[in-house]
Amino acid sequence: MIKVNGEKHSWYQGMTIKDLLNNFNKSHLYAVVRINDKHISMPYFEKTLIPDNSEVFLIPMIAGG
Amino acid sequence: MKEYKMEPLNTFNYDRPVIEKGYANQTLCIDISDFVISVKPVTEKMKNVFIGGKGFDLWLLWNAVNNTTKWNDPENAICIASGPMGGTPVYPGSGKSIVTTISPLTGSVIDSNVGGYFGPYLKFSGFDALEVTGKSLKDVVIFIDGIDEKVQIFKASGLPDDSYTLSATLTEHFAKGKPRNISVVSTGPGAKNTRMGCLNFTWYDLKRKRARYKQAGRGGIGGVFADKGIKAIVARWNTVTTKTNNPADANTLKDVGRKHSREVVELDPKQNQMAQIGTTHLVPIMNDFDLLPTHNFQYGQHSEADNIGQEVFRRIFDPGYDGCWMGCTLACSHGVKDFVPLTGPYKGLKVFVDGPEYETIAGCGSNLGIFDPHTIIEMNFYCDTYGLDTISVGTSTAFAMECFEMGLINESHTHGMNLLFGNRSAALEVVHQMARGEGFGQIIGRGVRQMKVIFSRDYGADPDLMQDIGMEAKGLEFSEYMTKESLAQQGGYGLALKGPQHDEAWLIFLDMVHNFMPTFEKKAEALHWFPMFRTWFGLCGLCKLPWNDVVPEDNKDTLEPAKVMKHVEWYADYYTAVTGRQTTADGLIRMSEAVYNFQRIFNLKMGFGQREHDNIPYRAVGPVKTVEYESRTERYDKQLVEKHNVDITGKTTEEKIVLLREFREKLYEKLKDAVYKRRGWTNNGIPTKETVKRLGIDFPEVLELLRAHGVET
Repeated sequence: MIKVNGEKHSWYQGMTIKDLLNNFNKSHLYAVVRINDKHISMPYFEKTLIPDNSEVFLIPMIAGG
Repeated sequence: MKEYKMEPLNTFNYDRPVIEKGYANQTLCIDISDFVISVKPVTEKMKNVFIGGKGFDLWLLWNAVNNTTKWNDPENAICIASGPMGGTPVYPGSGKSIVTTISPLTGSVIDSNVGGYFGPYLKFSGFDALEVTGKSLKDVVIFIDGIDEKVQIFKASGLPDDSYTLSATLTEHFAKGKPRNISVVSTGPGAKNTRMGCLNFTWYDLKRKRARYKQAGRGGIGGVFADKGIKAIVARWNTVTTKTNNPADANTLKDVGRKHSREVVELDPKQNQMAQIGTTHLVPIMNDFDLLPTHNFQYGQHSEADNIGQEVFRRIFDPGYDGCWMGCTLACSHGVKDFVPLTGPYKGLKVFVDGPEYETIAGCGSNLGIFDPHTIIEMNFYCDTYGLDTISVGTSTAFAMECFEMGLINESHTHGMNLLFGNRSAALEVVHQMARGEGFGQIIGRGVRQMKVIFSRDYGADPDLMQDIGMEAKGLEFSEYMTKESLAQQGGYGLALKGPQHDEAWLIFLDMVHNFMPTFEKKAEALHWFPMFRTWFGLCGLCKLPWNDVVPEDNKDTLEPAKVMKHVEWYADYYTAVTGRQTTADGLIRMSEAVYNFQRIFNLKMGFGQREHDNIPYRAVGPVKTVEYESRTERYDKQLVEKHNVDITGKTTEEKIVLLREFREKLYEKLKDAVYKRRGWTNNGIPTKETVKRLGIDFPEVLELLRAHGVET
């Protein structure tokens, strides 16, 4: 089990960020995701595994300086 | 500390006006040539057309200077203003000051938006804006005392030269036991000896019991301040509540302020965590997307970038509340406690460092090939206390380092300094030399545009190559984002009024990652709306971060998520609640359009403000050198083949660079056409008669200026 934006979400061994985002509408708008305190960017979504019990935050569009 | 003396030269007593709906309705004018202090009324026309903040500054500056005024002429003014909403404690990000002057780097108008308490304290003391002209032969301190209703000019001697100790000294001197009542504006020795001096604006951190500061960094305002002989400007004010600004509708203000504050408190921990790590999260993200400038903007990525990213600074920052204005829930102004510099006058002493933020990390770190947080923090500390802009210092030093690596300059020019990328001690020594006005640091301190002239004229360096790799436009150094793959952000920098600073438009993600603006028309629309809305914050005394660095959870379901319209509408409600003037989201854009176009025409008055002045160096557009192209061969080859239908078979890298350049430069010119059209400008980038009439800025002087530049009036 993981938490996504504070809500419980099912988890399975081998789940990547890309897999997780497939469950959400308009997931293309998320270019960055935070797993606990670590930011992961879109180029790494496919190969980044989400550990069990993680807190995941879908970061809205990066607005810059 | 050595003894200092402050002798009063003039005292001006006044009756403090009651603040009415966010305005004091008068400005303070000080001519320090002969220590004359006076007050000017704020007219309804000023409020209608210029709103406040940067708008008031520009109007005062416009009337102070003529078209031949140079940055160091006595008539050049330093104008500082808050805005009608400035000083509101219940709405996040409402304590900004906006500073304008004629810049030593660009020769035209520069503006800078800065935190700290000065702007609100100035307004509550009875002045919507401060205009300082003249030059003093003696060092002076200006004291605006809103509690005792007097303005004083002191002749100062023996005060510390650097801003870190000077701010603390003056805070204690004027506090009468209440240091939170004081805000100090000052600079340091680097501002005297370079063209890239900044101003430090303080606020008092009650928990840490110290004066801290933020910087009005861009364009060398600190140099104008120092040249005028101003040691510091100090404001004193008392307790601030929502009532202090006397809003038209306090209940609505509280409602909308609480909504936005609560949202920040609830969502920032789930989103960017700026209350914990400031803007340092951008370092790894920019790196991942090939946008973090390294080695003078040659590349956008480096394997050591994580060493200077948010995971490191999360551990280094001193935890606690870090709001640069009272009640701001975003509170992103973090700092490093008990830092011990390894060099310079503070070597071995424990100091508190305000920062670093993303721009400083990228400018004084990755762009110099430095991936050591300690060096970046030390450069941050010394740039601030010496009164130097970390962005211009970083980008200028990066240019010098690349010239050194390419052999365009050598050790005989750098006074023996080895300026290879990654040389940490050399980078720090450059900063110390800037402060002392010595050695090669003094040359770097003149900025990229002047270095290009000096290196070519005196050292025989190739001017065309330096034009391509010298990251300045309009004379101002680029801030720290790569733009090669985002045409919209090339425009965001190149078409910005004051030069390539990202505060007008930051469109890289929307353009490059999300592909929200695939056509020229959409890019032009973005390069209209975003600069206008971002300008509006500077008119009102606000910070833009709460607008789009924390966004509502349902924002992605809105029609235009990039605009965060829910917040824009809250800002319209906020404006109406304070000023009593009804407005809408579109109304905010209209306010900015008038001031934005006026600033463009101000550039014209100063000899700039036309199409040719919106050019950018090719390094901002595409790969200049073979190593740059070959580091991303697949990307560039693919673009040539698929986007431009080029048969690249048998072509050398040099040939492909030439072809790519031809295509990309044409696209940039086409973008200018589209943006000028959208903004209501001529093809030469000048606002038309219809535009200035529509915006109510068709003053006789403006029309005369347009006529003189071939615009039909």
